[in-house]
Amino acid sequence: MNGDRPISTLEQAPPIPCTEECLLRPGNTNCGGCGMGVGLTMLGRALAEADDTCTLAIPACCGIVTAGAFPTTSYGVPTVATTFASAAAVAAGIATVRDLNEERGQVICWAGDGGTYDIGIATLSAAAERNENIIYICYDNEIYGNTGGQRSSATPPGARTTTTPGGKSEEKKDIMAIMAAHQIPYAATLSIAHPDDFSRKLKTAFNTPGTRFLLMHSPCPTGWKSEPADSVELVRLAVASGLFPLYEVWNGSAWRINVEPDWTSPTEYFQRQRRFKDGEIDLQATERSCRDQFKRLKTLAQEFPHKTEEG
Amino acid sequence: MSVEVVSGNHAAGYALSVAGEANRAARGASCGIYPITPQTEIVEYVASFPFQKSRVVPVESEHSAMAVSIGASLAGARAFTASSSNGIAYMVENIMVAGYYRLPIVMVAVNRTLGPPWNIWADQGDTLMLRDFPWIQFYAEDNQEVLDATLMAFRLAEDHRILLPALVAMDAFIVSHTQAETVLPDQSAVDRYLPELDLPHRLLHEDPKTLGGLAWPEVAMSLRLEIDEAMDRVDEVFGECRAAFRDVFERDPGGAIETLGTEDAEIVVVVSSSIATTAREIVKQRRAAGEKIGFVKIKMFRPFPERALREACNTAKAVAVLDRNYAAGVGGVFWQEAKAAFQGHRDDLIIQDYLTGLCGGDVTPPMIDEVIADVTTRDAETKPIWMTAP
Amino acid sequence: MAAKTLPQTVVFWALMLESAKNTMVEIRIHGRGGQGGVTLAKLIATSRFLQGQSVQAFGLYAAERSGAPIQAFCRYSDDTIHNRNLIYEPDHIIVLDPTLVGPGITGGLKPGGWILINTPASPDTLQEQFSSNRLATVDATSIARRNKLGTRTVPIVNTALAGAAARMLGFDLDEMRAAVEHLGFAGSNITAAEEAYDQLRVFEPASLPTVSRSKGASSTGLYHTDEERGPSFVEGAGGGLPGIETGLWATEQPHRQQFVPPCNHVCPAGNDVQGFLAALANDDVDNALAIIVRTSPFPSICGRVCPAPCMASCNRIELDEAVNVRQLERYAGDNGQATVEPLTTRDEHIAVVGSGPAGLTAAYHLARLGYYVTIYEQGWEIGGLLRTGIPGYRLPPDVLDREIGRILSLGVDVEVGEVIDRNRMLELTQSHDAVLVATGLQELQALRLGVGDAEAVEQGIDFLDRSHRGEVRVDDEHVVVVGGGNTAMDAARSALRLGATNSQVIYRRTRNEMPAIKEEIEEALQEGVAIDFLIQPITLKVNDGGGSNQRRHKLVCRRMELGEPDESGRRRPVELDGSDFELECDRVILALGQSPDLSVFPEGTEVRQGQELLGLLETPVYAIGDLATRDGTVAGAIGSGRRSAFHIHNTLNDLEVPVTIQTETSSNVEVWHNDVIRSDSLKLHLFERRPASDGVAIAPEVRRTTFDEIHAGLTDPSEAKRCLSCGVCNSCDLCVTFCPEGVLKRVGSDLIFDYAHCKGCGICVTECPRNVVFMSHL
Repeated sequence: MNGDRPISTLEQAPPIPCTEECLLRPGNTNCGGCGMGVGLTMLGRALAEADDTCTLAIPACCGIVTAGAFPTTSYGVPTVATTFASAAAVAAGIATVRDLNEERGQVICWAGDGGTYDIGIATLSAAAERNENIIYICYDNEIYGNTGGQRSSATPPGARTTTTPGGKSEEKKDIMAIMAAHQIPYAATLSIAHPDDFSRKLKTAFNTPGTRFLLMHSPCPTGWKSEPADSVELVRLAVASGLFPLYEVWNGSAWRINVEPDWTSPTEYFQRQRRFKDGEIDLQATERSCRDQFKRLKTLAQEFPHKTEEG
Repeated sequence: MSVEVVSGNHAAGYALSVAGEANRAARGASCGIYPITPQTEIVEYVASFPFQKSRVVPVESEHSAMAVSIGASLAGARAFTASSSNGIAYMVENIMVAGYYRLPIVMVAVNRTLGPPWNIWADQGDTLMLRDFPWIQFYAEDNQEVLDATLMAFRLAEDHRILLPALVAMDAFIVSHTQAETVLPDQSAVDRYLPELDLPHRLLHEDPKTLGGLAWPEVAMSLRLEIDEAMDRVDEVFGECRAAFRDVFERDPGGAIETLGTEDAEIVVVVSSSIATTAREIVKQRRAAGEKIGFVKIKMFRPFPERALREACNTAKAVAVLDRNYAAGVGGVFWQEAKAAFQGHRDDLIIQDYLTGLCGGDVTPPMIDEVIADVTTRDAETKPIWMTAP
Repeated sequence: MAAKTLPQTVVFWALMLESAKNTMVEIRIHGRGGQGGVTLAKLIATSRFLQGQSVQAFGLYAAERSGAPIQAFCRYSDDTIHNRNLIYEPDHIIVLDPTLVGPGITGGLKPGGWILINTPASPDTLQEQFSSNRLATVDATSIARRNKLGTRTVPIVNTALAGAAARMLGFDLDEMRAAVEHLGFAGSNITAAEEAYDQLRVFEPASLPTVSRSKGASSTGLYHTDEERGPSFVEGAGGGLPGIETGLWATEQPHRQQFVPPCNHVCPAGNDVQGFLAALANDDVDNALAIIVRTSPFPSICGRVCPAPCMASCNRIELDEAVNVRQLERYAGDNGQATVEPLTTRDEHIAVVGSGPAGLTAAYHLARLGYYVTIYEQGWEIGGLLRTGIPGYRLPPDVLDREIGRILSLGVDVEVGEVIDRNRMLELTQSHDAVLVATGLQELQALRLGVGDAEAVEQGIDFLDRSHRGEVRVDDEHVVVVGGGNTAMDAARSALRLGATNSQVIYRRTRNEMPAIKEEIEEALQEGVAIDFLIQPITLKVNDGGGSNQRRHKLVCRRMELGEPDESGRRRPVELDGSDFELECDRVILALGQSPDLSVFPEGTEVRQGQELLGLLETPVYAIGDLATRDGTVAGAIGSGRRSAFHIHNTLNDLEVPVTIQTETSSNVEVWHNDVIRSDSLKLHLFERRPASDGVAIAPEVRRTTFDEIHAGLTDPSEAKRCLSCGVCNSCDLCVTFCPEGVLKRVGSDLIFDYAHCKGCGICVTECPRNVVFMSHL
């Protein structure tokens, strides 16, 4: 490295205009390397590209702490904090009135796995059954991150949390199967490591009326005890190893797989997160379960393929 | 305008519906609804009302019923719901939120005993549980008052000087299921009475705000102080709502409290809800017999009309408070509030609590006589006195 | 309505403090979420608790995020503590993160109190900043990293600082060790505490201000006047931008860097390979050509005949296969439009002797620099070996004419039929301001094969020249070509086209050692050329009729084997005794290499590249190209010509214009590396595997019959998108895409980091496939 040019400092750096147009404004209170932050910026870009906008309904979770302290906010779109279990219902109310008044803009729930898989599932299920005109995005960091890292029903087996100190012994709940069973118009999984797929699915969701459910694998350096810089790489490994398959389901009856895993061993995924401990992960069982899960999806996608191209 | 024989629930359902419809030229109306005995007929009425611009969302729980109403209100619609008893208990978290979000949501509550035991009859414990929330509370005596208070609740709640949700409570079955003649105002009159809702902090893409994020202690405390200031303004604004009601409907819906014979009363009986009807009759009869007994009905419980109550009891030596509710370890809630209202003003006043008609028990005329007899002879207060119908 | 005044907070705490003042110690800790500040407070408190003191440890709780500034507090006393307030006037301060150090941290600190800072700096360097206090420092971050506590960006430094604090506060290390163990920490945490205890450095000023006791807070507790109240919930409800400078959370910051891509590094012509590939990847063919002609006037030629060392060094080989740079350069040369003009006009007149690629390139650059250039060529056509030595099926004459035309269009004069001997050279030096000699390798290496030399043995260069002029046919002959270089391949393949029934190459080493371009060898084989290895010709005899084919000659050959490597690194061929055999043939073509003809120079002149040949006259004379380098490639000749042109320019004008061209990307690259980036510095797994495109070639059975060009080139420049752009930003903007904060913006060719808000997570570094972003410790 040559030392000819000094590295610029805070004072010398040209300021980036922190605009009110950004969905997620700089200066938010997320931890460094937060996957949710990546997801929110990608959501903002997709909305801008689609010439669309949104209102956010966010239950109790890191997502609302992101906003920072009243009266300032990190969100550049109208945002309401809901009670932990109520995101889908509050969003339904907002969407109902927006539709009554024929207004543009998506109504989006931005909820963690605790608010989705656990406390909010009844509300979500009911909204889905009524086919409320909302997009529900679950940023799944597989932990109650905002309270410091307790198990949720999205926590994968083997993961240590403060309430599963010896590693969780149960499987992760298959929320996608649950949501697909509601026969909602569109359900899809998202990985921030696959930005084009991510953006395309968001735009598909924007163009599909009714309840849309998107499950985003959201790395949490604090909860996963991983390097912040590894966040995207970790979820990329999860897709590659089959731990987090990328697929879409229409009306609970047509499936499409978006990325074929290359069956990279999940070993590296586990080793780069200190929430997993050697000896607490059954690697063979994990790989078997990934392959079985993918086989099921593959069968569905082959037997009941999604036929028409959207948009 | 028509006068029909309808139930209290019907009157409530009618009031909520025409109020919602009155916002059709603005952003419409919406609400989440969920059934529970004995209020189910209210939400059934609302669900079948032929709104021009509304969507009634039949949700999966009271918690979500209020959540949908919160969302609808945030988006600028007139929003309301109805519930009762354990339904309210389940809804509590979002009831609180509606208040702190300063949303003018109106809820009709049918007062029913909180279980267990399983008991579907009248008891104010469910809504009084909410007394520390930023909600305006009315306790209606009869079908007409349910309807009138509900319409006024919208106008009051939506006033920019107030912006607080309001609930109108009525006794289970005694009012909710009792058919009685009730004036049902025309939609056109209601349209005149209720201006279009203009929620100043509704969610706008053009002015993106975040509601409900973190606030540091000093800031959060200031927001609480705002609520206190709004509560302070209720008295004045409610007076305007009452006057406007008289103008539009050509009837007086009554004030925060109703009094009878308090100008010279030595004994004042303080009641709320349907017990008022019985108590008023007894007081009337005994005044006719020359006794210096007065009557106070507290219709508005939040904010508590302490000044009006003190003035009504100006000449009294003793006050009997009848409570159809029980706060564990203390006694009746109205009694506590009354005691606090007189504290430092009338330390000589005997204020005795009578727990009457709890869990749906009937409060009969002899019980009222018995209360008057007891309080008249008292030279000191005792613990709340538990009474049942003979 | 006027705002109410909230009930006054009555401030008793100062009074309450007084009772415990005499023995109580209060410590405030400044750190970042995730560093373990609250636990540090607890560690200190526990160590005192275990010594029988009354203690408190607590944090200032909000929704702390990893990296956000936080405070923690600790107090201990011999007496019971009657105080639950924050610590406003601490006795000591501990700072977990050096980036938090500033005047703000000492708020309320009592004069004379300790400030313990986690920093590698020596405490006396801080004395000016904190003159009223005693200072202690320890590099807890390094200790934590060494002991693998926390993550790289957020090391957990609390146990190390606990050890340091123990020393500073005058506790026994054992007392702190007991506290660490009491809280269930073990192993590396203990080690960290011990190391920090040992490594603590302190600085005590010669004189300290007298410690003064505070009489309590001056605040009345009155607040919430109308002015002080924030916006109302309804009216203001949170629309403002966040004021949090999250950049202050960062311990590291991303910056831009640039490396030298291997293709650029190895290109003998000095081309900006990565640069023109990037332009082609953007479908900007004209710009690609403009980038090439900054260095080389021969893209269409190099795009056909260059051995392309850039492809051999291409990092993409580690992923799938090299980017087809040769064909892409040809695509740019054949399809792009670029205007070249002299940049200025100068009076100096420069002679270039020889019109091969080196001479032409030197003339090109000198003409662009404004010099008056005359080329002296001994033959009647210009182009040197480009014209005479490379067959038309590889380099069509019209391509050559076009690129030479571009050079001549700069106003370069050409004198053909000018044989330069020593005398003529002397004249040139007198009539010019500088002379460049680019006569190449004219001495051909011969092999004495005995009888029949004159008739049946011919130099490959001569054969190709005669072929070029249409003066030779080899119908029905069996031709043997001796050698392994490009000339051998060209001769063998030309022989097929000139009617030979058999074209056989014999080479004394193996295919691995062949200097010919790989693709040329393959194409020759496809066309039917036979190549036999480890064979050395010994003598040529007239065929006495013993054979079956009735060929005119017999070539006696000897088999070889590979021995130890020679000075060139190739394994030396060693003769195998008793292995001689006879090869029937009609003609032997020698392609054994060439050497320079130095006869124009004074006896004993040693010629090296770029060397000024002194002693002739005052005029500088330079030998360039193969004459000086013996490199033998067009690209090498171009590089030599260009370097020489700049050398002369600098010499004549006493300048130091650099010859190296740095790839031009965005203007805000902060660190330029002079070293070449290798594939292990790239994130190859982020790229999709995709085979290279090679365009369309004529079928071997057709092309062996014609001198038409065998390859039609690429149909589009999409192959350029395979370029990994090693170590050079190509605006792929993955860093922008993956930034969780939106603090990275692309503004034109610049990449701007918002350091006021960047938390330093490092995702942009991890996700950059080409290593052009790096983290710098703050």
